[in-house]
Amino acid sequence: MIETEQIEAHLMRRSEPGDQLVFEARLLLESELHEKVQWQQEAYRMVRLYGRDQLKQEIEAVHQKLFSQKEHTSFSQKIRRLFTNR
Amino acid sequence: MPGFKFSNRTAEEREKLFISLYKNAFPVVARYVNKMGGTFDEAKDVFQDSLVIYYEKSVECSFELKTNEKAYLLGIAKHLWLKQHRDNSKLTPIDGLEIESEETAQASDKKVLNFLQTAGKKCMDLLRSFYYDGLQLADAAELFGFSGVRSATVQKYKCLEKVRETVKQKALTYEDFVD
Repeated sequence: MIETEQIEAHLMRRSEPGDQLVFEARLLLESELHEKVQWQQEAYRMVRLYGRDQLKQEIEAVHQKLFSQKEHTSFSQKIRRLFTNR
Repeated sequence: MPGFKFSNRTAEEREKLFISLYKNAFPVVARYVNKMGGTFDEAKDVFQDSLVIYYEKSVECSFELKTNEKAYLLGIAKHLWLKQHRDNSKLTPIDGLEIESEETAQASDKKVLNFLQTAGKKCMDLLRSFYYDGLQLADAAELFGFSGVRSATVQKYKCLEKVRETVKQKALTYEDFVD
């Protein structure tokens, strides 16, 4: 876990300058670590994609709510009217 | 530690946020799209993309736009609309407003995402709260019911290692199918 934390600090540029130097030296020497850094970067990318995907679903749910529930009728009609009165 | 400028910690808080943004800004965006000859569905799409950008920018800069969120959302929506309609694709990016293409899910990404979602939704939700919603450790600890910041940290890295391993395994598996 410490290593994962170090990789994160390195990727997010949060390491202390001294630690950063040591880590960069290790990266040059340890190909396994180098590989881990790359996969961890890919893991962050997947998490962000997942986050965006979930957020889009949440927004769509809000849309459905606003355009189907009675309590929001005046709002939804106001919008719909824009597109019918061409 | 600085707290959140706008509350997006839980799904309920985000729902409230989006309902208020919808009510506040969708009418002006819809009017604009209508004026430009667009349909209701096009207005909806462009507005929802604008909300995603608005959300990601707010997390990234932890800024608050309460007073002019309407103007800001309309600005993003106009930019997206013009970008889509002016010459269909090759417009130079402006001010990082685009949803970066590298962030757009490819077919192979979707397979991995589906797998991660079914095999480890709990981990993905925890990681999302840190790396997408920008939650502080203390908030995440409370939200996910951890006894404290330390155990939330431990779990975060455990999950990250799991996802890292999965992503690697899947990438190696799918490589076999690439011709």
